[in-house]
Amino acid sequence: MEIINNLIALLFFPAGLFLLVLGLAYEWVDRKLIAQFQNRIGPRWFQPLADTVKLLAKEEVVPEGVNVALFKGLPVVALAGGLTAALYVPMAGLPSTYSFQGDLIVTLYLLSLLTLCMGLAGSNTMDRFSLIGATRTLTQLFSYEAPFMLALLGPAMAARSWQISEITAYTDGRWLILTQPLGFIVALIGLMGKLELPPFDAPEAETEIVAGAMTEYSGKGLVLFHLGKSAEMVIGLTLIAAFYLGGVANPLYFILKTLALLFIIAGLQSLLARLRIDQTVGLWWRYGVLLVLVQWLILIVGQRIIL
Amino acid sequence: MTNRKSENMQANGKSERFIVPIGPQHPALKEPEHFRFTVEGEIVTNAYVRLGYAHRGIEKATEQRNWVQTNYLLERICGICSHIHSTAYCLGVEKLAGVQVPPRALAIRTLVAELERIHSHMLWLGVAAHEAGFDTLFMYSWRDRETVMDILEQLTGNRVNYSANLLGGVKYDIDQEIADSILEGIDFLEERTRHYLEIVTTDALFLQRTRGVGVMTKTQAEVMRAVGPTARASGVTRDIRVEAPYAAYPQFPARITLATNGDVEARFVVRIEELFESHRLIREILANLPESDLRARFPRRIKPGETIIRVEAPRGELFYFIKSNGSDKPERVKVRTPTICNMSSVVKLAVGHQLADIPLILAGIDPCFSCNDRGVIITRRQNKPDLWTWEQLRQYGIGYYDGNNK
Repeated sequence: MEIINNLIALLFFPAGLFLLVLGLAYEWVDRKLIAQFQNRIGPRWFQPLADTVKLLAKEEVVPEGVNVALFKGLPVVALAGGLTAALYVPMAGLPSTYSFQGDLIVTLYLLSLLTLCMGLAGSNTMDRFSLIGATRTLTQLFSYEAPFMLALLGPAMAARSWQISEITAYTDGRWLILTQPLGFIVALIGLMGKLELPPFDAPEAETEIVAGAMTEYSGKGLVLFHLGKSAEMVIGLTLIAAFYLGGVANPLYFILKTLALLFIIAGLQSLLARLRIDQTVGLWWRYGVLLVLVQWLILIVGQRIIL
Repeated sequence: MTNRKSENMQANGKSERFIVPIGPQHPALKEPEHFRFTVEGEIVTNAYVRLGYAHRGIEKATEQRNWVQTNYLLERICGICSHIHSTAYCLGVEKLAGVQVPPRALAIRTLVAELERIHSHMLWLGVAAHEAGFDTLFMYSWRDRETVMDILEQLTGNRVNYSANLLGGVKYDIDQEIADSILEGIDFLEERTRHYLEIVTTDALFLQRTRGVGVMTKTQAEVMRAVGPTARASGVTRDIRVEAPYAAYPQFPARITLATNGDVEARFVVRIEELFESHRLIREILANLPESDLRARFPRRIKPGETIIRVEAPRGELFYFIKSNGSDKPERVKVRTPTICNMSSVVKLAVGHQLADIPLILAGIDPCFSCNDRGVIITRRQNKPDLWTWEQLRQYGIGYYDGNNK
């Protein structure tokens, strides 16, 4: 029985099929919203799925001069990282499948695995665009990662626990966005940096470096990275909604709150022009870290006063 | 693997130079052209451009067509500024033939040229915004550009290559109905253009990408012989409409638009303010359209002679040299498009900038690669004659490609 439950958790819900389908659906919502903001019609609802099926059916070209095992293995690891992270998150409003003290840190590291794999995949090839893209991906990782992580640790400090299930139990009904607005902003924008969405899309700026680290990828490898990113978007939105927007106690709250966040993200994406990589780094270390530290200071002082 | 990689890098350069090739196929380029940027990290230390991928032999082809056919061929040099090419050619041939064009025809030519300038500049606004990763501005400016495209279609029946010009006049007249819809469209565009000017001068994130990027001083612009809005953004007073008014510009004088900063932002501002100037000119022309015939009689053969003509295309000075030998075909038509004058500034300005700034610097001159591509042979070896016959050129071409294939 234990094994069957584990298999279901891995293959269907919350990881596996459910997360992939939800990721594709959210990707469609994101694309459709941006299209509407930009006065375009946008894709039909099955477009992300159709892209996935098409890419899976296509030949995967392995370029010369790469380590083949790495080239083929990295997309799998990236997707696996995203899917594993889903096991510790209250997906669809249901309690997380596994839980232990400190799983928040593990989840955040599993989410970073995708970016790390993309950076490695880019530097594995000899393509110049890939190499520059990989450099930018990793540079960006080092700029948003610390503020993003600190911003998600804010609610953990308030709940006095590093366990996601305990934090969500604390935040259920408590809208931490009201008490920690700075942390919320940094977390949301950090998620955009993590997903390389505009204005943080310098690592894949098509007018400069084609597709960045992904330039040499085609077919299966490309689609696995793509799915990994969609999954990461869902997990990221879930975490922020659960921590800052009063928890995701049931599936309805989950859908409403994550879609509201997605709406904000899509709006920001269509409002802002792309930042150069040096500007991205400057922004995060000058303002992102500062905001989150100010938030921590308020939090610590506040807790001292209350207690 | 590491060894192979370093070998590969060294094979491409003597030291550990890292060259980023952009083109001939690259998402930033809408036409084939090859740029090579040597980078150290993100900083460009050297730039190289290779032109000529879209050379179509149009100048040579004009020699096989008669004067009338050549007009339609030359209109196809550029898909964006097609009318101005035909205008330059017609003005030149009319000067050569000594034909007086009716004033109403000249006014309509000028009107279409200004409408074309609006469509070209709005297209550029979108492309340049896209290069900076600001796709929303791209989508909106292209949506609004459809207004002027509809006007042009209503006036001439075509969205590009309007073929409004004839030797000795124009094909299409403007009646009250068309005049009203033009005015209505211009009112809408003026309002939108004001909005875009506000965006490119106030949007903080966008300004980070344009302000102080690709600065060309006035001296540099003069030395590199920049033309058009690129030069005017550096404070160079160079506008053929003002310096040497042609067509109906003597009756409807244009005002020059200048900026002094010389950066990419200044190029945005100059082009957008030129749109206001075009709106004003169009209104003025429509209000004071002279009454006359639409075309004058034009001879089939033109007496021997040669002439030059300069006009202000949306991208800058467009230069035509036309030579007649008394037959019904031109002996020589030489075209110099504005992009080739501005290309040296890209190579010069790119050095010292970040790789991310390159698309904006390149887009800043509003390049039109197919227009500027020329067959240029520089050779002082093998005692080659200065003047080549067609047959010699053909043999040279065959030999060149044979040699390259071996």
